[in-house]
Amino acid sequence: MTKWRASAAVRLAIGYSAALAIGMAALGAIVFLAMHVAFTRQLDATVADEVRTLATEFHSDGGGELSDAIAQRESSTSPARLLYAVFAPDGRRIHGTLQTVRPALGFHDIRFIDPREGPDSARGLAVDLSRNERLLVAADREWIERIDRTILTVFVAGFLVLCLLGFGGAILFGTYLRERLQSISNGAEAIIAGDIRGRMAVGPRGDEFDQLATTLNRMLERIERLLDNLRQVSTDVAHDLRTPLAALRNRLEQGALELHEKGAADRAIADAISRVDDVLALFSAILRIAEVESAHSRRFFEEVDISALALELAQGFEPAVRDRGREFLWSIEPSLRLNGDRELIAQAAANLIENAQRHTPEGTLIRLTLVAIGDGVCLQVIDNGPGVAKADRSRIVERFQRLDRSRNTPGHGLGLSLVDAVARIHGGSLTFKDNAPGLIAILRLPNHPPSS
Amino acid sequence: MKILILEDDAALREHVTGLLAAAGHVVDGCASGPEAIFLATSNDYAVLILDRMVPDLDGLAVLKALRAAGVRTPALFLTAADSIRDRVEGLEAGADDYLVKPFAGSELLARVAALARRPPIESQVTVLRVGDLEIDLLKRTVTRGKERIDLQPQEYKLLEYLMRHRGEIVTRTMLLESIWSFHFDPGTNLIESHISRLRAKIDRGFDRELIQTVRGAGYRIVDND
Repeated sequence: MTKWRASAAVRLAIGYSAALAIGMAALGAIVFLAMHVAFTRQLDATVADEVRTLATEFHSDGGGELSDAIAQRESSTSPARLLYAVFAPDGRRIHGTLQTVRPALGFHDIRFIDPREGPDSARGLAVDLSRNERLLVAADREWIERIDRTILTVFVAGFLVLCLLGFGGAILFGTYLRERLQSISNGAEAIIAGDIRGRMAVGPRGDEFDQLATTLNRMLERIERLLDNLRQVSTDVAHDLRTPLAALRNRLEQGALELHEKGAADRAIADAISRVDDVLALFSAILRIAEVESAHSRRFFEEVDISALALELAQGFEPAVRDRGREFLWSIEPSLRLNGDRELIAQAAANLIENAQRHTPEGTLIRLTLVAIGDGVCLQVIDNGPGVAKADRSRIVERFQRLDRSRNTPGHGLGLSLVDAVARIHGGSLTFKDNAPGLIAILRLPNHPPSS
Repeated sequence: MKILILEDDAALREHVTGLLAAAGHVVDGCASGPEAIFLATSNDYAVLILDRMVPDLDGLAVLKALRAAGVRTPALFLTAADSIRDRVEGLEAGADDYLVKPFAGSELLARVAALARRPPIESQVTVLRVGDLEIDLLKRTVTRGKERIDLQPQEYKLLEYLMRHRGEIVTRTMLLESIWSFHFDPGTNLIESHISRLRAKIDRGFDRELIQTVRGAGYRIVDND
């Protein structure tokens, strides 16, 4: 029973049917009272009519006729027949057969002795016909009582049926909800128990529960992807860390063997430091992305003259890019301003340029463009190098994603992840398009980033 | 020069002390904030090196206290992570420079030297000279000997920075920070390419090379005569 009390559905359904039952009871009581009063009035009217008729007869025909009239009426077998009595002032009954005491004038509920059924109640009207004769005409209440009983029976039966239906319905409703929710709960339990690939059962009806299950499944897919990503990142960090550390170890070992050679120690140490710097750079990049992704980075948003920044970047990179055998051109729309983090935008743009020259052969033309779009700016780094296959384009922003599976190219595969993170905290996006041949990296930054 | 270092990591403190001592500096080391405040207020140091994170009273609080007490000694923060927040807080508290751990010894030495020799106010200076190379800061013109040299804006900024620090080593990161305001490693060695272009303009064809590369550290502009 406690189990049922704990069910919200059962509580709701029982509460709802209780309210209905109370409503039904109130309605029954009102109908009962209204009909009771109406019937009593009707009875009074019948009695009053009869009294008026008899009084008229008495005044036109005299006392003798009254006795006959009463006797004639009393001999009727109609179920609606009335009861009559005429009393002398001393209380004696002088006409009629109604066995009761002499009443006061006016309408009364009276008690009388029914020769067949014993004491009974009736509705009576007493008037004085003359000084010595008081006429009482009464109507048996029996048929009102019968109607009352019928009405009561109908309503009580209805009330009971309603209660039964309500309670039964509540249990059925509760059981149904419980079963539907149980299937979702079971799915969740299975996932808690470790089966992250488990999913909620989705019924064929597409109702609220199925929609909920579908939503939960979408959430689970997202979580699973994130977990996979996390697992992949952990593995990649371990791998990216082990490779340079192993190389460092080998280098030091080799250095130890060559110690007797002149200058070998210096070379070994310089080499070792540069290898350690690579490892440190990897960690800096990881921490940097984590920092960008954490919410407090928005604290440093300010108005950035992005045109000036882009020009500075272009001029800063140009000699270096040319020295490495690539062409570098830019076209920058002047006086564009943006609410953002100057340092992060600079780093994102630098990473895009760096990425373009790292993954293209010598002789490639790299272009930087900045234009206003809608409510923000669009910064593009365009190259005419080998490009990236369409299927790979969405993957290249993933952490540690290097299209070169052997992971032997330089770089740690975090550059574009950082650009993506920067785009996202500005409420913008990083996308890639085919330049046929080559790749277009598109960094969109809206001017009014969402404040959340 | 006399230098104070506040660093609770004994190994790192000894490492830095050794580096600075090898460069000819006198170093006082301490591991707690109150000690650092006491030493800094009772001695005359050329530079303070403060670890951002030490237990109890951290470098930030120490520097705020010292600045409030009127100690104007140039201060360099050491921060554990390359966090923008740390950097901004440090500079707001009155630090003159900051360095992210782990750092190269040459970087620390270059920055300490730059802080210690920081000229009081150079706004009055309108002409910078190294040998026969001259920058007119008002007209923004560069001449070597009698020859006028045309520089790109960024080359000009680079040369101006080198000449304001003439005789000192300036590192790649110092140049990135001061000329481009980049507090990150852009991957590509921007500085190298700019320096080689600058050299081509101001040194090529002249008898003496003024811009020197200090291996493993950075660059220096100096007139060796």
